[in-house]
Amino acid sequence: MSKKEIDRLLTSYLIENQAKLYRLAYSYLKNREEALDAVQTAVCRALERQDRLRDPNALRAWVYRILVNICYDQLRQRQHIVFADTDTLDTGSYEDPLPDDSDLAARIDALPPDIATIIRLRFYEDLSLREISAITESPLSTVKTRLYAGLKKLRLSLEGVNVIE
Amino acid sequence: MNELEKAKARYLETPIPAELHHRVRIAIRQGRQNRSRKNWHRSFAAAAACLAMLMGVLNLSPGIAMAAADVPLLGGLFQILTIRSYAALEDGVDYQLNVPAVEADSETAARVNAEIEERVDALLAKAQSDWQDYQTAFFATGGTQEEWGERQMDVIVNYEIKSQTETTVSFVVDFAEGWVSAQQQRFCYNLDLENDRDITLADLLGEDWVEICNNSILAQIEASVDDEGFSYFFPAERGGFTTVDTSTSFYIRDDGTPVVVFPEYTIASGAAGIVEFPIR
Repeated sequence: MSKKEIDRLLTSYLIENQAKLYRLAYSYLKNREEALDAVQTAVCRALERQDRLRDPNALRAWVYRILVNICYDQLRQRQHIVFADTDTLDTGSYEDPLPDDSDLAARIDALPPDIATIIRLRFYEDLSLREISAITESPLSTVKTRLYAGLKKLRLSLEGVNVIE
Repeated sequence: MNELEKAKARYLETPIPAELHHRVRIAIRQGRQNRSRKNWHRSFAAAAACLAMLMGVLNLSPGIAMAAADVPLLGGLFQILTIRSYAALEDGVDYQLNVPAVEADSETAARVNAEIEERVDALLAKAQSDWQDYQTAFFATGGTQEEWGERQMDVIVNYEIKSQTETTVSFVVDFAEGWVSAQQQRFCYNLDLENDRDITLADLLGEDWVEICNNSILAQIEASVDDEGFSYFFPAERGGFTTVDTSTSFYIRDDGTPVVVFPEYTIASGAAGIVEFPIR
């Protein structure tokens, strides 16, 4: 694929998927202006660094990775973020009362961002675990561990949850 | 509907702001520009570095190499030289510097050169401290070395000669710092070396220059409102444009048209970047 074709492919992808990118950014930042800024920065950076995109098939994962990193950076700048250590992640016991807010969306938002990322990408954006592993730059096994830990924390039964790789 | 489907439906209902598509369009343009600028910088800097090596003048005083690239000499009254040219990746900071100076027997030129040098030094110091603060916050909040990965900051100084005659020159010096957010600044210099003074908007537009500029700028702001009533410009009562004055920055285009320049965030939202108005 020529450089020109990649530029065209990337540009149309970004234009067609801008709402998806915004929704994802908003799910992290919960702030309209910051989410707009994050999408703008991500789009700008994607165009700027398009020469680094070697495999056009990986375009979606590549763009999401840029956006997710920008959102993390933004959260870090606010210094609100606490990344989860999966080994010590408290998945809660079944005797614990459920959080007051039993709304699942709110509980997903309350997860540590690296776990929420996997849940959002898998279930909101319908991405495969392989793609999520590329986006989060973590091994597939880590993605799986985090996904299960997250689901457990959310008290979601794994039954009927379709975990496609 | 199970809980996950409900959560997904709610996620998909996130309201999408009307200006998203404008912001994306601007980002596409900006990204393309940065890309070509970066490529141009790389090749220019590489060429300058090679030349410097060849001539044996590579002078590594505080990490800054002297440039070997001169801009063609015109008229003999002055020339604009690249006095510092530097391209390197150091501690995660990607420096791309091309700093100009005016070589002329002139007090105005000496003042401009000192000012540029001071601004460049301040930019480098600020960039380094911003980057350190960011790194500290990153690791203090649980970021790992692995996640830090290829993160880097771009620090760019470049200049462009907008127009020149045998006795006058108009050039801009652009500063940019880019990482999580990008900031850019543009400083304009318009020199009349024959009379050893700065060129003013009054010189170019006559005594009614304030009115001429204001009318032209207000008309252009008016014209920028799109079909959906969206504009990047702040309304006058919320800190938007009111009037030009002697501190208003401008450069002179090749065809002699003055172009008035406002810094980021001053009269329009940050997404609009640096705002420029040709005054016709």
